[in-house]
Amino acid sequence: MISVKHLSKVFNNGEKELTVLRDVNCEIAKGEVIGIIGPSGTGKSTFLRCLNRLEEPSGGQIEINGIDILDRKADVNLLRRKMGMVFQNFNLFHHLTILDNITLCPCTLLGKSRKEAEIRAMELLQLVGLYDKAGSLPSELSGGQKQRAAIARCLAMDPEIILFDEPTSALDPTMVSEVLVVIRRLAREGMTMAIVSHEMQFVRSVSTRIFFMNEGVIYEEGSPEQIFEHPQRPATIAFVNRIRTLEFKLADKHFDLYGMFGEVGIFCNKYGLGNDMLMKVQHVMEETLYGILPFDGAVTLTLDYSEKDFTLRLLFTEDGCTTSVLDRLPGDFLPLKIVQGMCASLRETETGKILVEM
Amino acid sequence: MRAIWAYLILSLVLSACSGAGAESEAEFAPTCIEDLSGHSVALPGGSSTDLLVSSYPGIDIMRVSLGDIPIAVKSGRADFGLLQEVQFDANQMARQGFKKYFAGILRGSGAIAFRKDDVALCDEFNHFLRAMKASGEYDRWYNCWLHNLDSMTVEAGKRPAPQEGKKLIVGITLAHPYIFLQQDAITGIEPDLMNLFCRSAGYSPEYVIIQFPALIPSLNANKIDLILSHLLVTPERAKQVLFSDEYMEGGLCCFGVDPQWGASGGQGIWTRTKENIRHNLIEEDRWKLLGNGLIVTLELSLLSLLVAILLGILLCYLRMRPNAVISGTTRVFVDVVRGIPVLVILMIMFYVIFAKVNMSGVAVSIFGFGLFFGACFSEVFRSGMMSVDNGQWEAGAALGLNKMQTFRLVAFPQVLRRIIPVFKGEVIALIKSTSIVGYVAVLDLTCVGDIIRTRTLDAFFPLILVSIIYIILSRLSGGLLDALDRKLNASK
Repeated sequence: MISVKHLSKVFNNGEKELTVLRDVNCEIAKGEVIGIIGPSGTGKSTFLRCLNRLEEPSGGQIEINGIDILDRKADVNLLRRKMGMVFQNFNLFHHLTILDNITLCPCTLLGKSRKEAEIRAMELLQLVGLYDKAGSLPSELSGGQKQRAAIARCLAMDPEIILFDEPTSALDPTMVSEVLVVIRRLAREGMTMAIVSHEMQFVRSVSTRIFFMNEGVIYEEGSPEQIFEHPQRPATIAFVNRIRTLEFKLADKHFDLYGMFGEVGIFCNKYGLGNDMLMKVQHVMEETLYGILPFDGAVTLTLDYSEKDFTLRLLFTEDGCTTSVLDRLPGDFLPLKIVQGMCASLRETETGKILVEM
Repeated sequence: MRAIWAYLILSLVLSACSGAGAESEAEFAPTCIEDLSGHSVALPGGSSTDLLVSSYPGIDIMRVSLGDIPIAVKSGRADFGLLQEVQFDANQMARQGFKKYFAGILRGSGAIAFRKDDVALCDEFNHFLRAMKASGEYDRWYNCWLHNLDSMTVEAGKRPAPQEGKKLIVGITLAHPYIFLQQDAITGIEPDLMNLFCRSAGYSPEYVIIQFPALIPSLNANKIDLILSHLLVTPERAKQVLFSDEYMEGGLCCFGVDPQWGASGGQGIWTRTKENIRHNLIEEDRWKLLGNGLIVTLELSLLSLLVAILLGILLCYLRMRPNAVISGTTRVFVDVVRGIPVLVILMIMFYVIFAKVNMSGVAVSIFGFGLFFGACFSEVFRSGMMSVDNGQWEAGAALGLNKMQTFRLVAFPQVLRRIIPVFKGEVIALIKSTSIVGYVAVLDLTCVGDIIRTRTLDAFFPLILVSIIYIILSRLSGGLLDALDRKLNASK
């Protein structure tokens, strides 16, 4: 149904150029529900907006049902009638009632009679659970109700595909689920959809296929199970496990230990690691850096915290280390004993690389 | 409507009380210009009188339009006034509470001014005048005017301006008894002479009322063919215009409020109000004049509004183009136009831009107001457009509406609702601004009020009456827009 080849998008605001999409390639078939996930600022929304040309692509090719929509002669407005879009900020027409919001375009563009359009609109309002809000103005509705109304407005045009651009990001947490339920229902009825969302559990359960976008490309794609259970590439793994990282590069032994402690304190605080854990981490850092490591070359220290399974790992890497660090130490070496007493495991994964799992 | 009645009653009562005038002091009787030192003197700005008096130190000069001089003296704003002696006598001002102190200032002769290159027309007039003087007819006619003003006015009314022949546009300034309005028709000593000339030479005169200082510029801008305004022949003026033979002698007199006057204050308020209405509206059918002025003001306001709205939409559209050159140029244009006072714009249009084009003052005014308020409106419209967030346009586009449809169905209704309150203020400002068109020879409501004022020497009543009419116009237009606003809000 949709085929995208080498799609790119460069934003140009006078002097600065910003490449948002570098090279996006994909196929979307009828009946598929595509979940698009990835870190912020990697072009998920831009990709969606390029599909209905709300953003003008800088290069590449988009074909919909075999028609090249980037062609000069392509009728964009006709294309958009068949592609609904649901926005983060709802964008209901402020001056019209919910009913008029829904009937405006069918009456204007599809040549439906007012009566016909109203009957259909009331069916759709029933579907999204807003039957009694037909006469209200958008400003009288809650966020979740507005978004459901926007979905109904979209459906009134009988689109072949609906693009959801972060439909729940502007919502109060209590209103997220009422919108997701509606989208889920559409998926069950076989509607083709592309959904950009940060609601991982929802995307995982509703999608037939996941695009993981990173740095302007579709970095990894696959079934929800593949992406969420067995991600293959590092950025995907870090994203799916929601790994948070803090890194220090130490040139020599005269580093600022207390400065580091301060930063680690902020890091632990941010991800809800308690004071006990902070004390332990600081001890492990001090003993390892001053006691265990020979510290002949520069050392890199990385803290990885997974928000998914709540594990914290410290990785110490010493550059230019040729002999094993742990092997040259006696088994009852005191700093080693202290660290081992505080962590779950301590291993030397490669020569000069010590992994401490807390 | 009740409020309007309240204004009306309030103003009538005030106007009845306003007869009090200046407080009388111990009489001071000047006998020459030097005596005026330390006093304020009302005189026509930019005239030869102005030049003369300015050369004496210590005199506080108050420059007002010719007709306002007696009013300035009567209301106590100025201690003394300087007027042509003929005007003082013919108006019988001594019977209206004024006293002549001394005369014989700036004796000189009045003549008609033509354009420098219009020698043929000037000669034609001179020829006519010489013939009239030679036969003795001229003296007889002139003396009749001076001594029997009322009967001569009736007499002149039977000799209307000829309607056939080549059109002559005659620039005039109203000053009784030289030139004045009598039941809608221009009459007086000078028009009578002009009509006599035109009849004999085969012209049809068209009189255009212009502010005195604007007469010579209008002549040189080809707006008028000659100036008939008891213009004194001075060397400075002779450099700019071509004077005909002199046709009347004149000199100024100095007058003030008669200290013996003012014992008549015993009338009741109601009697005086009735007297005011009779004097200012009924006499000489002055209400008709007022009606005509109102029609001109309405016509000007409506047409200017229309032009301004259309221009405003165009400017707003250009200003919002993505092209930096177009939007930048438009921005500069709007800033420049809005930065100039609307009166100055009007003058520039009349005397500079359309000087060589035969365009009536009304047309130029509509254009000028349209331009100025178009620039103002464009910013109002633009602020309305900016208040429609981008999401609305995107939502329209995403549903398949084209730009024009999105504008019509989505943006415009929202813009309209948002700008009406501001727009209302601008419309009222426009209506009130039309009061300055007297400067470009248009007889609107304000100008008609001035004319009545100069005839009746009553400042208060005509001014208040004109104010009330403006208030009513503003309330009506504001009410219409409010009704539109309510209708829009009801339908949402």
